[in-house]
Amino acid sequence: MEEVVASPREWIDRNESAKTMLARVLTARPLLLLPPLHRVPLRVGNVVELVGTSPSAKTHILIQAAVSCVLPKEWNGVHYGGLDRLVMFIDLDCRFDILRLSKMLKHRINGESNGSLKKIDQEHMDFDLWNNDTKKSPTYDEELYSLCMRRFLFIRCYDSFQFLATLKTLNYRIRKEQELHGISVHILMIDSIGAFHWIDRASTFMPLGATNRKTPSLQTVSETVVQEIRKLLLLHPMLVIATKATIFGDRYSMETKRNLGKLDTSNSRSMSSTSLQLPYREYMPSVWQTFVTHRVLVGASDDPFIRTNDGDCSLYFSEWLLPPQSFVDKFIVKEAGVFMVP
Amino acid sequence: MAPLKYLEQEYPILDSNFQNFCATHGIFSEEDLLLHDLHVLVAFAEQQSTSERLKQGITQVLSIIDGQHQPWLNGMELLEDAQLNKHVLSTGCEGIDLLLEGGLRMGQLTELVGASSSGKTQVCLLATSNVAKKHMGGVVYLDTGNSFSPQRVIDFIRQNSDPAIDQAKHRILQKVMNRILCHSVFDIFTMFDVLHQLEVNLRSQMQKGDCQVRLLIVDSISSLVTPILGGGGSQGHALMASAGFLLKKLAHEHNLVVLVTNHTVGGEGGISKPALGESWKSIPHVRLRLSHDQGSSIYNVSVFKHPSMVSGKAARFTIYD
Repeated sequence: MEEVVASPREWIDRNESAKTMLARVLTARPLLLLPPLHRVPLRVGNVVELVGTSPSAKTHILIQAAVSCVLPKEWNGVHYGGLDRLVMFIDLDCRFDILRLSKMLKHRINGESNGSLKKIDQEHMDFDLWNNDTKKSPTYDEELYSLCMRRFLFIRCYDSFQFLATLKTLNYRIRKEQELHGISVHILMIDSIGAFHWIDRASTFMPLGATNRKTPSLQTVSETVVQEIRKLLLLHPMLVIATKATIFGDRYSMETKRNLGKLDTSNSRSMSSTSLQLPYREYMPSVWQTFVTHRVLVGASDDPFIRTNDGDCSLYFSEWLLPPQSFVDKFIVKEAGVFMVP
Repeated sequence: MAPLKYLEQEYPILDSNFQNFCATHGIFSEEDLLLHDLHVLVAFAEQQSTSERLKQGITQVLSIIDGQHQPWLNGMELLEDAQLNKHVLSTGCEGIDLLLEGGLRMGQLTELVGASSSGKTQVCLLATSNVAKKHMGGVVYLDTGNSFSPQRVIDFIRQNSDPAIDQAKHRILQKVMNRILCHSVFDIFTMFDVLHQLEVNLRSQMQKGDCQVRLLIVDSISSLVTPILGGGGSQGHALMASAGFLLKKLAHEHNLVVLVTNHTVGGEGGISKPALGESWKSIPHVRLRLSHDQGSSIYNVSVFKHPSMVSGKAARFTIYD
């Protein structure tokens, strides 16, 4: 307190202008604007929930975000526009396909570097007439590719206890990885958060002796998960993106579906929400629901396929539920990734 | 998950003083530790007289917890594992192989959905014969409806073999059939028993070149799960989810192809949909739909879900008698 009292004038004097502050914050904590999550700027500390039935391209969106995150902003003169950060992926569904990530990353790297190579070729056509330019591209592609792949950190969990163990030791792990790579973690991805829902819900443990002992149940596990992630976000500010599969299939949701069916005459695959009712049944405990700051609904749209140059692609829609937006975006998933459809 | 007192032998820092301290906070085992806020525990430990030792104990416990989960891998390590271990096994059926760009992938759970007599068991038997013969791998076949037919497998094996090697045929046939293990399971608990036993065997087995199990088939998993679903309780769904996780774990850790079959039920507007409901949808990696043209031997297969392919892609194939 002594320093503050000593010179109050210094205290009121500004440290930096708003412009410099914005510049500092935007470089240290970059915004994430990715299709199809680009409608609302997402920053560290946000918890985004991607809801949808299976299949609805949720994991593809995560992979796209991961690719954008691990790529550097610029590498060897080529601009990639990535965030240059680490990504941590917790796979609770145990269905992650690394080859898909690898393909999308390669497409992105080759796409950008081919674009810039063409430019260089135009400029240096006279000089490089006898040089085999194609020899150059594989080497720095490979280096960049392996650098980016190593920035993607992955773990899979087969039950809630492994998930909790992962979260409890995540702080230490993040510190270690940040020291190793020299850059911080920007996104924590969880795929998918409701994977152990049924197993936890059905776990009935014998009443244990001591009264202050917590029984592992859905409620206590979810509370601990939220608590651990909250503590983690205090120490390492990150963006959390979690996918969640919807669970229909009980009388409540059947009625909802019938009501929706009366309102819009399209076929049963349509899932866009009406103003009041959610098209899916919320099954996560309220402690998780209140923890989520943003929610996006994704699903297969009414016309499932559209023809593009690369053949048939599945058409999906995305709708922001929290903060609620009035429009619905459409996107397709191609070999190279997720692309918006105007 | 062991109670704390059993950890004392290996980690003497977790002595009775530590255990008593934990007991006052309702922590008696590792599971309780996972559900408790360890920072709060450290704060309480500070107030004790033996705070340094207690804090060391908590650090020790944290490192034990670090060994409770799977190891963290980076993208390159995952890719190497996928390229070295997770190959593609052809099913012996050209249509399906073309559709799946090579065949069934190891480490993945593939589901065949179809109405009755749409060819699901035929495809399973064909895959069995192909893996046992061409890929020389072991097959574990869990049969829930007495539909496994050794004669049909022999027919498939004989179909593509070279008629010139007639003399050694009987011996080869015996060798191939010896690689196939068929279990009859009629309820889900028996299936769990068989799978757990298989897990133990796979873990302890030295990798003998010929008999490495490569394919695990559950025909059909819906007949095991459907009787326990419903009734409003969550036990059935929990068992189904556990079965899914166990199959995926076996597939990934022991590099198996896991193939399960599912039947169809009536859905909205009379369109049939796969059984086992919404929660099952997110469990398999790949879901294929089979159907059969009446009276012919032509089958249709289409992709319901695939990690890297658009759903709806279809192909046709023939299975000869």
